[in-house]
Formats: sequence, C-alpha cells, structure tokens
Amino acid sequence: MHKKNNLSAFFSPSSIAVVGASGSTGKISGVILESLRNSFRGAIYPVNPRYSEVMGLKCYPSIEAIGSPVDLAVYALPAEAIPEAVFNAGGIAKGAVVVSGGFAETGPAGAALEKALKEAARSTGTRVIGPNCMGIYDTVSGLDTFFIPRERVRRPGRGGLSIISQSGSFAVTAMDELATDGIGVARVVSYGNKADVDEADCLDFLAEDPETKAVAIYIESIEDGRRFIEAASRCSAVKPVMAVKVGKAASGISAARSHTGAIAGRYEIYRAAFKKAGIIELNGYEDFLVACKAFGLTTSAAGNRVMIITDGGGMGVNIADACEQMGLSVPGLPEEVEEELRAAFPSYYGIGNPLDLTGSATDESFAFALSKTMSGDFYDMVIVAALWGPPALTDNLPGMLAQKPGFTEKPIIACTPGGAYSSERIKLFHEAGLPAFLTPEAAVRAASVLSKRRGRPL
Amino acid sequence: MNTMNTGRIERIVKEALSIGRKVLVEPEAKEVLRLASFPVPRSKAVKDVAGAIDAAREIGFPVALKLISPDIIHKSDAGGVFLNIMDEKEIEEKWSRIILGIADDYPTALIEGFLVEEMVKKGAEVIIGCVRDEQFGPAVMFGIGGVTVELMKDVSFRLAPITREEAFEMMGEVKGFPILTGYRGQTVKDLDAIADALIKLGDIVGRVEGIKELEINPLIVHERGAVVADARAVLR
Repeated sequence: MHKKNNLSAFFSPSSIAVVGASGSTGKISGVILESLRNSFRGAIYPVNPRYSEVMGLKCYPSIEAIGSPVDLAVYALPAEAIPEAVFNAGGIAKGAVVVSGGFAETGPAGAALEKALKEAARSTGTRVIGPNCMGIYDTVSGLDTFFIPRERVRRPGRGGLSIISQSGSFAVTAMDELATDGIGVARVVSYGNKADVDEADCLDFLAEDPETKAVAIYIESIEDGRRFIEAASRCSAVKPVMAVKVGKAASGISAARSHTGAIAGRYEIYRAAFKKAGIIELNGYEDFLVACKAFGLTTSAAGNRVMIITDGGGMGVNIADACEQMGLSVPGLPEEVEEELRAAFPSYYGIGNPLDLTGSATDESFAFALSKTMSGDFYDMVIVAALWGPPALTDNLPGMLAQKPGFTEKPIIACTPGGAYSSERIKLFHEAGLPAFLTPEAAVRAASVLSKRRGRPL
Repeated sequence: MNTMNTGRIERIVKEALSIGRKVLVEPEAKEVLRLASFPVPRSKAVKDVAGAIDAAREIGFPVALKLISPDIIHKSDAGGVFLNIMDEKEIEEKWSRIILGIADDYPTALIEGFLVEEMVKKGAEVIIGCVRDEQFGPAVMFGIGGVTVELMKDVSFRLAPITREEAFEMMGEVKGFPILTGYRGQTVKDLDAIADALIKLGDIVGRVEGIKELEINPLIVHERGAVVADARAVLR
C-alpha cells in the first residue's frame, strides 16, 4: 500500500478538535483538554453535542459545526463510534489521534472495528495514530494527548530526544523519569495498534525533523520488516536510533526444523534487523532509560576508548572492570599526558587510567584532568566519577566540567555514587547538560550505548 | 565467477512440493547447492546394497553411507549415517544396521534409498543456515559445528542479502571463532570460502520463494575451500 507520508498535521498542528470532549478532569477527554489548554498554542475546539461550553471553551455539537478545517482531531469516544466519526470528519480533519481502546487488542469484534477505522481513514485520506494509544506529547508544538494527569506523570521539558512506542505506558513511564531527572524530549509518539501510522512513518518524519537529535523506539512487533529497516536505516544515517524489543521468548526446538530454524527465535531476527538498520540494541527498560538520558544530553562517541577520572580509587577500578565487561577499552595514559599530570598534581595522586584525584580533589583538579586527558586523540569519552566526600568539591563542579576545556564533541558521563547528598547532585550535572548516573554500572552502560553507533553499515 | 542456476533450483523445489513434500532430502538439497556453485562431494543415490557397493567402487573407498528419508531430517541423530566405510563387507554391515535401527525407532518413516558419498577430507566444521522470516525475509546464521551451536547457541545472524563485510562480522561474533584461525596449533581455515557460502546461501533463499529454511551442517572448511558435507531444506 502506498502511503503519502505527511505527518505534519500531527507535529505542527495549528488547530485541534477534541471529539468527545468533557469538562471533567476525571475523564480522558477532560485530561487531554486540560493539557492542551496548558501547553497548546493553537486553536482548540471541543466537540460534544451535550455541551455548549467546556472548560471555558465554546463546544461544538459536531466536527462539521466548527465551520473550518482543523489539522488534527483527537477522538475519545467508545470504539463503536470511532469509524463513523473519523469518516464524517473526512475533509475537515487532516489527522486523527484515536486514544480509545476496544479494537484489535480485544478480539474479533474489535478487529472488525479496527478494519472499519482503517477503511474510513483510507477512503477519506485521513492519517490516523492509534487506536489504543496515548497519542502525542510534543514539546515543539505544545501538543499533549497523553491522558494521564500531570500531577501523576510529569512531562519532560524541551529537548532533542524523540521517543516512539507501541506501548503507551512504557513511553509515559520513561517520560516521567526523564522529567524528574530534568532531561527534555522533542516528540513522543505512542501509536498503539498502528492502524495507519506506524514506526516506519514516524522514523521517516523524525529523520528529517531538525528538532530531533536522537530517536528511541519501544517495539513489541513489526509487521512490515523490510519497510521498517529502510526507514530506520535512513534515520540512523543522520542521527542515533536505538530500540528495545520486548517479548524475547525463544522458539522451541522442533524435530521438523533445521537447526537454523530452531535457533532463529524471533529475537535473533530482530537483532539482525537492528544491525542491518544501524539501530543500537537496548536490553530492557533500564537500558532504555540509560540510553534516553545519555542521548538526551550528549552525542555519540567516535570510538570505545574510555578515560576514567575519579576521586575514589576503588570506584575507578570498579568502573574500569565494568568497562572491560561491556566491551569498552580503558587504555593507559599516553606518556606526555602522564608527565604533564605528574608535574601538576601532588605525588600521592594516582596517575593513570583510572586517574585518582583522591580526597584532596578540587573542582579545578577535575577540570584540569579532564582537559589534559581529553584533548588529543587518546580517548573517545570520559566517565567522571565524583564522590562528594572531599570538602573542597563544590556544586560548581558540573558547570566547570561542562565547559569542556580543550575539546568539544567528546561525551562526558558523570557518575555520583552515594546516598542522598550525592544523588541530589545528579540534577546539577543535568542542568549543566551532562548525563549523570548514580551507579558506576549505569554510567558504563551509557558509555557503551554511546559507543555503539560507530561501524554501522551504510 | 560463481553462478547460480535459479531456474533449475526452482524446478527441484517445485517437484518436491508437487509430491507433497515439506522438505528436501540430502541429495536434493545438495543438488540445489551444487547449482549455486557450492562444492559438493561426489555421491550417488542408490536403492539396494548391490547398488551401494557398485557406487562405492565407482567413487572409491572410504565412503559415507547415509539414509535418505523425508521423514528424518536429523539423520545422524537417528543412526542414519556412517562415515569412513572401508570396504564392501562394511557397506553390507552398516546398511543392515541403519535399516534395522530405523525399523525399530521410526517404523513409519519412508526410506527412499541411500546416499553413497565420497568422504570429505577432515577440516573445521561450521554450520551455516538461512531461514525465511515472515516479517524480515531471509536471515543467515553462522555457527561453529558441534555442541556450541545447540548447547551454547553460539551463533550470529544477519539479514540477507549480506555483504562480504557482514559475513566476516558474523564469523568474528561467535566465541568459537579462534577454532578457524589457528587455535591450538590448528591450521588457519579459508574464511573467504565461508563468507562466499554465507552470501550465496542468503541469495538462494532470497531468490527461491519455495524455500523456508536451507542449512549446511556441516560445511567442512579446509585451508583452501569448503565442502558441503550435509545439507537439508524445509519448504513452504
């Protein structure tokens, strides 16, 4: 099927109709309306024949009654009413977001409704996101159809990361954590049952979207594998694309199959597809979140050589071990750098990689070590593990590191192991634009993810 | 330049499907591979012991004797393969052992005949396969032979068509890779021949729609070249 891939109605709408609008914030449509009133800058048209006014906005009895075309219609109606509503809005609304459930995910009757929805979309040329989804959260346009109250799930601020997800709850949970951590996003799309718009459509859009610097995908299943690979390849050629695929259950060994057939579980094929498309493979929710934080704040590393700077010798060795385990290399200091550091630092500092600044560490010693080790082509990224015990360390450290003295593109990953005081420092790093993690292992995972974009096939 | 006779491969597949087969038996699978320029050992399919002895004489001892049955896809496990048969007397003996064993364990299996085959010179054994995925199309697998594939799942996959670079990446990804590059005094094996095989296997399944799975197990790799010692195909 040929699809006219124009998703601009979804990502830069100037007007939105909320069909099935309700003034009650206890209802899905009420939450959506409230969110739109908070953040959407275009025109909002509630549609519901039962009201003349909703949340202080004029309410229309039907979408036709608005009297002018709208870019987007958000539908919060019972599933049975959806196909006809989308059909009737043909020629009025360019795009439809159907958040309602009760479609193919529920059985044959729902599948028939979904088929009718597809037919309504096809015959009217309407692009549809959903059904059974949360829709779009977009910091660029201010659009927010995620129907979870903001006091329950925080919304991230503006950033360069875009997330596309088959699961609404997965996306929303990640959003909440990113918001809590002060990491922004560009566009988040939850497309649920993918009656029309799917991951390939989104990837095509995001590849060209200047607001999107990196893309994270949550996948349960992909229907048109080759089309996905083509779209993902185009996107990964211009920005990092990473994905988590859930549902890894291996297929059983069957006597009627070759070894290849028996071993080729679904997940092995997905991995092969990710490799083909230049997608960074993520392993589960934790990995997804680490990757979102890393790519949300910094960019790919050119290679896998890691410099480790710390004020806690033991933590440094622990990080080095974790690096080796994850396929990262921790090369020793080049001679000239070692000499420079020895000349500048007290003799009791542990000069090497890891570099141990000890309990005498200062903000300045961290910054100096950073500039000396990261200028030149010796390392591709650095993990700065700051233990906050040394009294000379101040809250200025993150900002000082973020200035990147002497080098520019190389990622700096911060790690602040410890209790309450240390974990509160994470926010300072994020404010300075540096990804930061509480545990050394999470920091190393981030380093690993950042290193994986190199060597991908064109 | 390697060539592939796609038309003749398709005919083999079509004929097997037309008689209700779900698999290609070894001689058919090997014929498919031969038509795609894979080196395949000399062999002859026979119906009786006298035929087997004639074939062995023609090929020259030692030979391998293998059961041909569409019902038994893992024929070594079923006791349907004997290697390094040295003379006529041994052919008769192994023939009866296979027949009796199959009669006991697989009484309903259809026995189409036997394959008498030239023995392949020792080398490193690898498994290469290609499976057609509903969503993503053909995917090529590589693994080192023996238990590492089944027990350790020490295999790598790529979606076909694969490039030569991808073929080498696949080899490098498995933990057993050093077995091919001189581990413990072994000779260095012909990695180019493996790469060729991986690329071609993906091409066959990519071009011939009727094949669901195609596997060479083992491909015996020498310092120069690689030979298909056994092969099977699942049709769709």
